[in-house]
Amino acid sequence: MADGTQVPRAWDRHEILSLFDPASGVLDRRVHSDEALYRLELERIFARGWNFMCHGSQIREPGDYFVTYIGEDQVIAVRDEEGAVNVLLNTCRHRGNALCRAEQGRAKSFVCSYHGWNYGLDGRLIGAPGLSTYYHGDLDRSRLGLVKARVEEYLGFYFATLSPDAPSLHDYLGEVGRIGLGMMCAYGEVECVDGVQKNIIDCNWKIAVDNLFDWYHVTYSHASADSAGFFDISEILHPKNQMVMLGEYGHAIGGPATPQEIQDQIDALSDEQREAMSRAQPRNSPRVRPSSATDLMGPVGVRSHGHPNIFPNLWITMSGLQMCLRLPRGPSRTELWWFTFVPKDAHAELKRKMIWQANHVFGPAGLLEQDDGENWSQSTRAAGGLASRGLGARIGMGLGHGAVEEGPRGERYVEGLVSEHGQRWLYRAWTEWMAARDWAELEANHAPPPSGAV
Amino acid sequence: MTTLNQARPTADARNDTGMLERLVLQHQVEQFLYEEAALLDARKYRQWLGLLADDIHYWMPIRRTVTNQDLDMEFTKPGAMAYFDDDRTVLEMRVRKLEAGSAWSEDPPSRSRHFVSNVRMLDVVGDEITVEVCFHVRRTRLNSELSEWFGRREDTLRREGDGFRLARRHIFLDQTVILTSNMSTLF
Ligand code: FES
Ligand SMILES: [Fe+2]
Repeated sequence: MADGTQVPRAWDRHEILSLFDPASGVLDRRVHSDEALYRLELERIFARGWNFMCHGSQIREPGDYFVTYIGEDQVIAVRDEEGAVNVLLNTCRHRGNALCRAEQGRAKSFVCSYHGWNYGLDGRLIGAPGLSTYYHGDLDRSRLGLVKARVEEYLGFYFATLSPDAPSLHDYLGEVGRIGLGMMCAYGEVECVDGVQKNIIDCNWKIAVDNLFDWYHVTYSHASADSAGFFDISEILHPKNQMVMLGEYGHAIGGPATPQEIQDQIDALSDEQREAMSRAQPRNSPRVRPSSATDLMGPVGVRSHGHPNIFPNLWITMSGLQMCLRLPRGPSRTELWWFTFVPKDAHAELKRKMIWQANHVFGPAGLLEQDDGENWSQSTRAAGGLASRGLGARIGMGLGHGAVEEGPRGERYVEGLVSEHGQRWLYRAWTEWMAARDWAELEANHAPPPSGAV
Repeated sequence: MTTLNQARPTADARNDTGMLERLVLQHQVEQFLYEEAALLDARKYRQWLGLLADDIHYWMPIRRTVTNQDLDMEFTKPGAMAYFDDDRTVLEMRVRKLEAGSAWSEDPPSRSRHFVSNVRMLDVVGDEITVEVCFHVRRTRLNSELSEWFGRREDTLRREGDGFRLARRHIFLDQTVILTSNMSTLF
């Protein structure tokens, strides 16, 4: 095709844009099943956007590495001797074998197990057996280092992109993305707890992503966790105090929010008084944020106890200090990775409580999460049926009933009842990412966060 | 404390009363483990709870693929992240959840089979017997889902009256990434 991409072009720009109709809130379910769309996602979303790699505390020392993915490309996030974090494509420049076959570890260099090419922690090709003999000195080592992705960090969270044209991470995140990551650090600088829970669900990755904005399902899907006494839905949901923040490039935050008049009262309290307030609250209520959180998240963001999603696939849980990556594994398979964080300076008892909570709420055995997977896999499965997928998925809840307000930092947000504004924003952005052939087109043709009625 | 070596078969094992005791104990332990597995397979979760000690620790750490030099980080340590890190209160919650009538991940219910083998008594201290077993849990769900989990377990059984209660279950999976949409199954 004329645009020079390698993906067979089964979908043209207009077809892609018509897959979601923001005016009716109906989504074409082929977005959850079509193989060609999936392959285009790997190119136009995952290889183009900034992907979460890991937190700095997971790879503290030179040589510490964590293996992860950009789309389906496996990469090694590794700290080098200078303390910098490099993200290297995990494929040998000789014949393509994987350098790292472990999930994480410590290395002095990366030696390929096939023929023994040896790469430094910065990806440089240090040596190869037979350089002067078999290769007759012909090998130009300077051109055969491991491919390095662009790496930037915000608040200790490292992201990488394979696109030379992507904006800086700061600009990519925008206000809403930065509020999302700020939520992770609202109680102070964090460190990652050892152990990433990983499991595979037979669902399209976007169904797992859109679910994080879905506060409609909580009452019904997770009824058994409430009945069992694990959590009290009413302490979490606050269906009438919901806020959805809409950010550039598809980032969004959706869920319960502290009403402004209560935040005004909180703002008048000292941090000690806020802690006392937290202790007096019901068990499941989010801990009241300290005053420093307002600097980090802004006066609107600090009220949110919803779920941020950093487009495309990084979910940050409400005040729970967990993050979940939804890694694509084909149109109908997704790998979920749960990362858990605690404030570095929290006392041991609080850390223990937070880890306890994290170990029991999410993850494949989590008392909440157990009941999500099959809803997603069965929705995905049905999207493969000819008649079924023709019906479309409805994400029109609250359409036409929202009024976008603008905060002092330019934040765009909608307050009100449980709604599907977040899902609509996600899929609208998805069509724009998918229709754009490069960053220039995406920059020129994506909708800015809306104002007025939505 | 009886050490295992004292109980190993000798030339005249038939006359060795220690050996006989040992065999009886081995038999009792195995029967307990089979009964317990059968309750889970029969979905008799409430009865299964009855076999647990009040101070049970039920734990499944996360396993990871690491190189030989990094084997110290193959499993997460106690207090870090895990798939299960339950006391009796949480296990009761899991059972209440299964009984709630709204545990959709188990409605329709899964069909599970818990295989327990290679039962080796590691230690007998007072009333407590620590056993290592190999386990294999196979589960089918709906019409075409087949999942399995296998690995090694360390169980501590505590004598109580005529029988035992399970005081500790540490589950060491052989798998790293969990290949199923959930673990609504008990091990
Ligand atoms: S493929 Fe890596 S050294 Fe040959
Ligand atoms: Fe859910």
